[in-house]
Amino acid sequence: MPNSAGKRFKPTKYIPVSTAATLLVGSTTLFFVFTCPWLTQAISLTVPLYNGVVFLFVLANFSMATFMDPGMYPRANEDEDKDDDFRAPLYKNVEVKGIQVRMKWCATCHFYRPPRCSHCSVCDNCVEDFDHHCPWVNNCIGRRNYRYFFLFLLSLSVHMVGVFSFGLLFVLYHMDRLGALHTTVTLVVMCVAGLFFIPVMGLTGFHMVLVARGRTTNEQVTGKFRGGVNPFTRGCCGNVEYVLCSPLAPRYIVDPSKKALVSIQPPFLRPILSDRHVTVKINDNGIHSSILRSKSKGSLDMLNDKPLETGPPLPPKADKYRELKSHLTSSEDGSLSSKPLHPSTPAMYKYRPSFGTIPKVHYHTGGEKISMQDERGPGSIAEESSRAPDYRSEPNLELPECSNPSLHRSFRSSPLQLDSLSLKQAYQRRDEARLCGLEPEMVASMADAPCRPVFSSNTLSNRNGSLSYDSLLGPGVALSAGECLSRATRSPYLPARAPPPAYSPAAARHSPPPRDPSPVRYDNLSKTIMASIQERKELEEREKLLQPRGRSQTPAGYPVDADARDSPGGRSLPPAGCYHEGLGSRGLTPPAYGSRDSLVGGATAYAGRAAGLRGSVTSLPRAPRTADGSMVLQGQPGEPPYRSPGHQPHRSPAALPRSPPYTRHSPLPIISALERTDSPPLCPREEIHGKMAYGKINGQPKDQSRLGPTAIGQGVPLSPGRHANVKKVSGVGGTTYEISV
Amino acid sequence: MAETHSLQDIRQQASVAAKVFIQRDYTNGTMCQFQTKFPSELESRIDKQQFEETLRMLNNLYAEAEKLGGQSYVEGCLACLTAYTIFLCMETHYEKVLKKIAKYIQEQNDKIYAPRGLLLTDPIERGLRVVEITIFEDRSTGSGR
Repeated sequence: MPNSAGKRFKPTKYIPVSTAATLLVGSTTLFFVFTCPWLTQAISLTVPLYNGVVFLFVLANFSMATFMDPGMYPRANEDEDKDDDFRAPLYKNVEVKGIQVRMKWCATCHFYRPPRCSHCSVCDNCVEDFDHHCPWVNNCIGRRNYRYFFLFLLSLSVHMVGVFSFGLLFVLYHMDRLGALHTTVTLVVMCVAGLFFIPVMGLTGFHMVLVARGRTTNEQVTGKFRGGVNPFTRGCCGNVEYVLCSPLAPRYIVDPSKKALVSIQPPFLRPILSDRHVTVKINDNGIHSSILRSKSKGSLDMLNDKPLETGPPLPPKADKYRELKSHLTSSEDGSLSSKPLHPSTPAMYKYRPSFGTIPKVHYHTGGEKISMQDERGPGSIAEESSRAPDYRSEPNLELPECSNPSLHRSFRSSPLQLDSLSLKQAYQRRDEARLCGLEPEMVASMADAPCRPVFSSNTLSNRNGSLSYDSLLGPGVALSAGECLSRATRSPYLPARAPPPAYSPAAARHSPPPRDPSPVRYDNLSKTIMASIQERKELEEREKLLQPRGRSQTPAGYPVDADARDSPGGRSLPPAGCYHEGLGSRGLTPPAYGSRDSLVGGATAYAGRAAGLRGSVTSLPRAPRTADGSMVLQGQPGEPPYRSPGHQPHRSPAALPRSPPYTRHSPLPIISALERTDSPPLCPREEIHGKMAYGKINGQPKDQSRLGPTAIGQGVPLSPGRHANVKKVSGVGGTTYEISV
Repeated sequence: MAETHSLQDIRQQASVAAKVFIQRDYTNGTMCQFQTKFPSELESRIDKQQFEETLRMLNNLYAEAEKLGGQSYVEGCLACLTAYTIFLCMETHYEKVLKKIAKYIQEQNDKIYAPRGLLLTDPIERGLRVVEITIFEDRSTGSGR
């Protein structure tokens, strides 16, 4: 019914309230006139005073309950519901303190009724915290006037008891004069009081229970919480306190008031892209995060031009992250930053660029990217973070602890790349939640240098990730070796080395994934990719070994690192030879390699992403795995950077199968580690070496690691031999992986 | 004089392009909180941080208004004792905070939102159900928004 003057005057709806009012006022007046004088003189003046106060209280509450707006909602503007009317579902669910509550669309008021709100057909309005429509006060009882209604009931009960008692007293003292006027009137008053005593007391008791339970009459009679949990309760005392002591709620239906003039005149300011913060929450497959890209991709260009920072990594700027993402999404080639990592879903490996191009991408497949673009991909965030050499981004990624370390390790092809890759891998690992136990430690350690703060947070912090990302993007592709080196030293990788021990237990826990020699498909990334990654790593390592050690020397000196560094993703799975070349040529700092290698070992196992990354990643967990170990083997600094891929190859397949899309990746490193230990190394020395590396990195038996450094050199000759068994697998994006079989 | 123009009437220079509605956040019950999620329609108009800051401030103010504390107790007792006649002369705590909120929104509009072609509507006008943000057409750029 419209609220306009068209409303008709309905006398019938006023009958109850009139009756109630009449009875109340009339009876009490009679009581005061006929009974109280005698009571005053027979007992004391306090009797009428007490009764007067109570009656006043009753009246006040009655008036408030009758005339106060219960909390009626004004009709919604047509703008608000223009999208809702035709397509909107009737109900909308909302979660209140963990419990699903249904909000119903009100066709009259044109909005979804808030929880506890109901539409009163008598008043023709939705009422907030609707209790019931009381005919005795001719008003809805809602949020604003429930207290007064409750107090009215309480006080009315008290008043009725009082009137009845004193009337009885009077009558008892005037039994001999029952026919007298005073007595008769008192008797009538007593009858009225007695008559309404039961319903009023009953209602009072009912509402006392409701108040104690924090329910409304509407909820009670419709059985909303029958057998269930009431999400609106605050506990018995809290509920009572809320009813009696809460501030008076405001009226919603107000007269239009003076509105201040606001001048809105174009041209309007626009947010500056670079200043935008990108909130990236790293989502792993299992983790939900949303990345808000508030900025456009334009900023990416800025990033691209930005040189890599040599200093402590990661500018904590969200916009960097953003830019990074933009880069990723914009599919720029070549540069680290431009890697289009962004498949929209983890499963969408469509961006699987060749390893060479985007190491990160490789390792973590779309999932990571996705996060960048929109909220979806856990991976994207990881990606971003992984990009940055700093592991700072990792924490953002959510995965941080788990996967990052591995990512970093395996990845270190470039500071940027590694990070992203590692991050990605980290994410994946995280999903698995297998490594989580380890990873956090690893990650934390990895992130230690500049990243450490970020990492340790371990939470998906927003946009800290951008820090690392920026560094990744900034320099673009070319990361100078020096930078890399510096990064490497500073990078999480260094610390990463430490974690391996932590990692290995985790790795050990994971059983090696089944090896799948089938061609790498990105959706099956796990096994095949890992295998190919491993292959690659081995190849690279082999080459590295062949090359002067100084180059990749680092303790980690993993070929993978080189790859990671040189070409952001490209390295990841270049033809087998590439790995090695990359590594060798890069001459990445040993530490970089080292850390990466350790990561790679693990990473390859599980991420299969960028070759470098993989290597490092896999190395971490995979101490035992030699395949990845070539890259990762070096868990420790000083270990020969190159592990011949030879002994990796057969780990690679193992590793590869292991690495499922993002999620799977995490287990890979562990698997690789396991595999390493488990399977007899193709190249015993290399194996040992690898194991050693892993061992050091992830806590594999230390004895293995001991052999590592020495074995590496020896491993080299072995690796070439292994090439013979290399099988080429083509993966998504045309990447070719060589897997030793 | 009370102006009964709608907000849109006031601004003759720009026309309304769209409206965004920030819904209530019921995760903590029926206390008045608004979702701080940044709507995508505003991405090109205002900084996310700025927007979130505004909403957070609003949420804090509403939480303060609904707080069960000393002042609300005193008010309740006084009201009881005076048979609620006190409401005729005194402003309740909630109303005081609502005035503060109105002032805050006005200030935000003047300083931040209006220069960007946006306008926040006080949620009390919508029954504390939504925060309505009106997006004005940016004629200077020639684009819709």
